[in-house]
Amino acid sequence: MTALLSVERLHIGSGGRSAPILDDVSFAVSDGETVGVLGASGSGKTSLALSLLGLLPQSLETRGRVVFDGYNMLERAAGARRNLRGRRISMVFQEPLTALNPRQRVGAQVAEVARAHGERDAQKAMRGAVDMLHRAGLTDAGTRALRYPHELSGGERQRVLLAMALLLDPALLVADEPTSALDVTVQAQVLQLLRTLQRERGMAMLLVSHDLGVIATTCSRTMVLHDGRVVEDTATPQLLAAPEHPQARALVDAVRPAGRGA
Amino acid sequence: MAANTWQRLLADRPARIAGGVLSAAAIAAVLAPWISPYDPTLQPDPVALRLVAPSWHHLFGTDPFSRDVLSRILHGARVSLGVAAGAMLLSVTLGAALGALAAVMGGWVDSIVSGLVDVLIAMPRLLVVIALVATFGALSPWWLIVLIGGSGWLTTARIVRAEFRDHLQREYVLAARALGASRWRLVWRHLLPAVAPQVAVAAALALAAVIPLEAALSFVGLGIQPPLPSWGNILLDGTDYLTSAWWLVVFPIAAVTLTVGSALVLADRLRTAIAGEERAR
Amino acid sequence: MTRRLIARALHAAAVCAVVATSVFALLQFAPGDPFATALDGTDVPPNVRAEWRARYGFDLPPLERFAHWGGALVRGELGYSASRHRAVAEVVRDALPRTLVLVGAALILGFAVGVGAALLQVRHHGRWQDRVLGALTLGGVAMPEFLVGLLAMTWLGARWRIFPVAGLGSLGDATAWPLWERAADYLWHLALPAAVLALAVASRVARHQRAALLGVMREDFIRTARAKGLGEWDVLLRHALPNAIGPVIALLGLALPSLVGGAALIERIFGWPGMGLTLFDALLARDYPLVLAAVLLATLVAVVARTLTDLVADVVAPRRVPVP
Repeated sequence: MTALLSVERLHIGSGGRSAPILDDVSFAVSDGETVGVLGASGSGKTSLALSLLGLLPQSLETRGRVVFDGYNMLERAAGARRNLRGRRISMVFQEPLTALNPRQRVGAQVAEVARAHGERDAQKAMRGAVDMLHRAGLTDAGTRALRYPHELSGGERQRVLLAMALLLDPALLVADEPTSALDVTVQAQVLQLLRTLQRERGMAMLLVSHDLGVIATTCSRTMVLHDGRVVEDTATPQLLAAPEHPQARALVDAVRPAGRGA
Repeated sequence: MAANTWQRLLADRPARIAGGVLSAAAIAAVLAPWISPYDPTLQPDPVALRLVAPSWHHLFGTDPFSRDVLSRILHGARVSLGVAAGAMLLSVTLGAALGALAAVMGGWVDSIVSGLVDVLIAMPRLLVVIALVATFGALSPWWLIVLIGGSGWLTTARIVRAEFRDHLQREYVLAARALGASRWRLVWRHLLPAVAPQVAVAAALALAAVIPLEAALSFVGLGIQPPLPSWGNILLDGTDYLTSAWWLVVFPIAAVTLTVGSALVLADRLRTAIAGEERAR
Repeated sequence: MTRRLIARALHAAAVCAVVATSVFALLQFAPGDPFATALDGTDVPPNVRAEWRARYGFDLPPLERFAHWGGALVRGELGYSASRHRAVAEVVRDALPRTLVLVGAALILGFAVGVGAALLQVRHHGRWQDRVLGALTLGGVAMPEFLVGLLAMTWLGARWRIFPVAGLGSLGDATAWPLWERAADYLWHLALPAAVLALAVASRVARHQRAALLGVMREDFIRTARAKGLGEWDVLLRHALPNAIGPVIALLGLALPSLVGGAALIERIFGWPGMGLTLFDALLARDYPLVLAAVLLATLVAVVARTLTDLVADVVAPRRVPVP
């Protein structure tokens, strides 16, 4: 099976002064696979997620390649990369309030994905958006689509982001801490929804989190990121049973007393 | 904190260039009597040396009365920049004092000062000053300073009031008050040094506002009176010869633009330095 | 919204009252009156002078004159202009629209150009386009309007004769021309003074707008927009600009008084017979009612325009009241 996404020796520097954000990271994701990226804050996991779509700030220097659909996402020449974003590869962000445009109705923000990829019929795009919002579990999606982000709750906003990411049936979804800004009960609902939609569509997913519980219930394979390096990359059950790297062990042990590990 | 802001500013190239231009202008103004090639009011030969184009003898040319334009601009800097500096000092001092008073006293003092600022800031300053000067007739440079400076304190008062109110709610101020420091001691020892960079921004902005104001007043014949040269009245002399003697308008315009631009760049870079310092903390 | 409107209207009224009172009070200190300029040095007998003064109310005590003047003002009467031999209201009726046209054209043109320049700068942030426009806008802010006007007049008007140098329209029997020709001639004469003022507006707008846009471009939702696959121009126009334009409109409102002041000088330089030129003429003639009316109306224009920009800024302000 050929890889959908392959990251080859990715290095992200932070301007030379301090240690690199990511150092020599290589891995691959196949069609339909769910991969977790586990790491403490500051381990470089958000930068990794952003680099997959080529969304890193321009001030950071990168080396290596991020090949998706045969195209290197780190190349600046815009056209091809732009065409992949939102259609073949999309992203859900950590903080759903700031990730939404405060001055645009949420329905329009979802419909905009279709319009960015060639849908000329505004009404058709809006119908598609409302339908997707409904499938993302937003109750009363027809009227809610006309609301502004600040008029929705945190969980509802995350559903909007999810609808936006999944509207065009992407092959890979990158989810960066999709539930950590939410209340615990809402967290479980959104996670369940994510799993359902992912299974329905046979979409591959890269789930980035600091929470082993979140990853363990969702991902078949887990990478542990520490100080910008992948220190462990194995099947999730194996990681839970016998973590090899000390940092991985620390993360696994940290959740065991709470009784949520395997 | 304030000390670091100054260091940041010194390390910034645009700020150093702007500061250099302003310093050079100030030095030229002070040294004008010694570095000017000619007497600025001397009319050596109103026929033969009238409106001579720039040359090695007269770098900036001569005016309709055969006076040397470079010497007039250098002496004009004395008057224009002197009035501007005086007016700037007056308006910044007045503004800082009133802004601080409003923020520290609060209550009705704050209401009066803020209300006054709100009303006065809506008035076109240039027109008000013109009306005032026209009323009193020709004024000495000292009165010009009072008038221009007295009408320019609003922006500074706004900035200082906002900064003071911000600092008054910070923890170090609350801590000092809890320890029993008196209100005015607090202002003097802690608040003023802390807001000094912001006051400097206000001062640079005030300078950038005041130089064109003096030039405009003299340009309409209401400011500095001939034969005393100022950048504005050199321009006024030039307006009748727009087609024949470009040097009469171009050089004073360049002088005004360079100094105002430098003051603006300085204000801008200082703001950036303050923001950088706030972020770094 | 209604409450804000009322508050703004009260503010405007307060400003005008303060301006009226202070300008009137100051003119009382002024040496001489219109008759002094007209009559000094001539041998008009004192009793005739006194009679003329009495006819126009110059013999009354200042407070009483102020009361008269204020009362008339409220009724919409602005007094009689001795230098123009017409009612001040008539002079104003001719001059004010011309100033409004000049300032309005400059505002609209300058705002559009300024926002466009800022968008270009942010699109090419840090590259030569950004630097060149940055230098130009700095120059536009640093060089006072009347100096730009003088330069434009020297080269575009007097030397190269591309634009007319003074007045509202061409001399001669313009009334006989067809309407469109008269309109074209009017615009022809408006072009240079309006462009000079617009340049000043555009430079200020561009500098504020660039800073505001760069601030918004750091926000998370810009990243979301890019993740959707939007192009950079769509990101700028659809997501960054709507969130960055409100504060700039508010700042423009604050800069309006100085714009009105600059417009007065521009009118004088280009001989555009609006309120600014009227003010300068009236000052020279010591025509108090006209001076008062001119300063008052200039302030009124600034205040009304500022009220409008404040309201617009309110409407386009970011909707960012988070739910608890």
